Amino acid sequence: MMRNYNSRQTAKPGKKPVPLFADRNAYLPLRAIIKDIVEENELVKTFAVVFEDEIYNTNFTYLPGQFLMLSMPHCGEAPISFSSSPSRPGSFSLTIRKAGKLTSAVHELQPGDMIGVRGPYGKPFPFEEMRRHDLLFVAGGIGMAPLRSVIEFCLDYRADYGDIKVLYGCKTPADFCFRQDLEKWAGEGLITTRFTVDAACEEWNGCVGLVTDLLDDVTISAGSVKALVCGPGVMIRFVAERLLRSGLPAGDIITTLERHMKCGIGVCGHCHYDSRMICTDGPVFTVSQLPDLESL
Amino acid sequence: MNRNFILKKDHLQPLLRKLSKTHRLVAPVRNDFGDTLFTEITRLDSAVIDLQNQPQSSLKSFFFPQQETLCSYIVDKKLNKGKMEYSFHARLPENAPTVFFGVRSCDMFAVMYTDMIFLHQHERDIYYEQRRDSSIFISIGCNRPFANCFCNATRSGPFLDGGFDLQLTDLGDRWFVETGRPRGVRLTEEWPGFFTPVSEDDKRKQFQAELEARGLFRKLVHVDLAVKLLAESEPPERIIEELSRRCQDCGGCAYICPTCTCFNISDLALNEDSGERIRSWDACTFSGFTLMAGNHNPVNAASERIRKRFLHKLRHDVEKHGRPSCVGCGRCVEMCFGGVDIVRFIDMLTAAGENGLQGEK
Ligand SMILES: Cc1cc2nc3c(=O)[nH]c(=O)nc-3n(C[C@H](O)[C@H](O)[C@H](O)COP(=O)(O)OP(=O)(O)OC[C@H]3O[C@@H](n4cnc5c(N)ncnc54)[C@H](O)[C@@H]3O)c2cc1C
Ligand code: SF4
Ligand code: FES
Repeated sequence: MMRNYNSRQTAKPGKKPVPLFADRNAYLPLRAIIKDIVEENELVKTFAVVFEDEIYNTNFTYLPGQFLMLSMPHCGEAPISFSSSPSRPGSFSLTIRKAGKLTSAVHELQPGDMIGVRGPYGKPFPFEEMRRHDLLFVAGGIGMAPLRSVIEFCLDYRADYGDIKVLYGCKTPADFCFRQDLEKWAGEGLITTRFTVDAACEEWNGCVGLVTDLLDDVTISAGSVKALVCGPGVMIRFVAERLLRSGLPAGDIITTLERHMKCGIGVCGHCHYDSRMICTDGPVFTVSQLPDLESL
Repeated sequence: MNRNFILKKDHLQPLLRKLSKTHRLVAPVRNDFGDTLFTEITRLDSAVIDLQNQPQSSLKSFFFPQQETLCSYIVDKKLNKGKMEYSFHARLPENAPTVFFGVRSCDMFAVMYTDMIFLHQHERDIYYEQRRDSSIFISIGCNRPFANCFCNATRSGPFLDGGFDLQLTDLGDRWFVETGRPRGVRLTEEWPGFFTPVSEDDKRKQFQAELEARGLFRKLVHVDLAVKLLAESEPPERIIEELSRRCQDCGGCAYICPTCTCFNISDLALNEDSGERIRSWDACTFSGFTLMAGNHNPVNAASERIRKRFLHKLRHDVEKHGRPSCVGCGRCVEMCFGGVDIVRFIDMLTAAGENGLQGEK
């Protein structure tokens, strides 16, 4: 059958990449192949993925903050963020935490196995507004996945940004993802990092406490910094409240929200949040766009 | 250009017969149980087309069926040196040219709304489009609104200015015909024998019928006031909670509603190696609608579940599309045995609003 392709796109901040799909069918997944698997920790794996059809590998792009719908046999679909940067094309990465039926099935996959994907969907991080600012990343647990994509992207355009600081909290030391990447970038002087775990334990000699505690040591100069916050709903709420108290305007605190999603294209209704659809109006929002922080 | 014609009542059946030669014909048909439902007519002679009662169903399921297969999938674990192969095969519905006859204004208006949702948002929905593409709508204005109707308050009836291909008005022994979309105009050109010129008297009678119909609504529903109150402040928690607690989780209101379009997508395994991806109607009032992994639910079903349904229709769609998406068909009033219908909500809200919503929490 003849297939219709969108024309070639390149990842550019400010221009939202549009989904690629075959035969004008927004619901039909494209076939993709697992190239490589990295075990981040017991519950989290990162999968490097390429399309089966070369033409998609050339034409496909996305921006950090966007997500795709991942299909697994008999499991339906799940929304998953890109954890890689589009500035490094050829393949893309998904970092997936075992949370239920579909995500557990993904964890059984081996290199060479096939998955279905459609996307990219959603609004990316606002790179135009982030340029020439210091960036403060605050991540909790698996929330690091979409932020890793942003960090790598910003490193590839390093001159566009000021200081990059990464604060990362997890329940236990075993829960961190991308720690090697982060420490390597810190070692090269590209970023500074701080890690914390919820409770003290033997194998950890770093900071203990909630990720909000790390903010005590950070001076926030409103106007020159953008904060990117990602993690569980309550964590986003506490970090956002803490940042607001230190004088950061709500419009400079950027986060990504999660909801149950079925279509990814703004029709099925599942991801409703107030008058918006998280899948098309988000998942990236500034805190000033949120009606309240309690309902996260 | 809108043009008007007269269609003699005893010419209707022959016209439908001609049209059914090239088109599938769908009309409100009374079945053996006495229910009037939009039904595909295969034998025009024996079908009882019922224009006296409000069809219990809308046209929604013709374009967006209660359940449909989006694609089938095949898994092969052996084909490629033990690597899992996974393929998808779209199952597009056939594009069947259809004449929808006897469509009431509210249902016609609802089709315009679902067109906007499925065709004019972020991506075109090819499944909806295939089914919707070659439809002809012959609607009927309502001389006598039905018991639960309030389309006058939602401005989606009893007569429409557009959206239909042909709109008929009952003038006793004849139908007054207005042309709307190009397909309607073409239809009158293709069958000139059926469509005769209108007289000034016909025009006057049509105008009169439309005017009288507006005075015949039995329900007074303050839709505009509800929209205004919701634009200004939050609905009282008391109302949301009371109606949420009375909701029985059946989804009937959403299923019967011509403008409710929420859906679920899930896989149905046929065997170990294959299955189908199914899209089916869903309802935002279902307790699992927003449930996420780890049993986290951002919406508290017990006390909140009806909030989205009523706010979506009366606030969010007003913000997004400039008008409420309830078309005043009154079906949910009949459907809900818990009394959690939109009219009840509007009544409670506007009653509370008389003292100003702010005072209530
Ligand atoms: C925009 C977005 C980006 C995401 N990015 C990532 C990521 O990069 N890495 C990652 O590990 N997880 C991510 N998630 C969460 C991930 O989608 C869920 O963990 C996953 O859907 C759970 O599916 P399951 O079948 O394994 O779990 P189950 O609990 O078995 O799923 C049951 C049902 O709930 C739905 N569901 C459950 N949890 C969620 C959820 N959190 N969000 C949406 N639907 C849900 C599923 O559609 C499924 O139908 C993201 C979610 C969203 C909304
Ligand atoms: S909310 Fe009720 S009255 Fe309004 S369109 Fe839907 S079913 Fe009809
Ligand atoms: S996932 Fe369907 S509307 Fe957002």
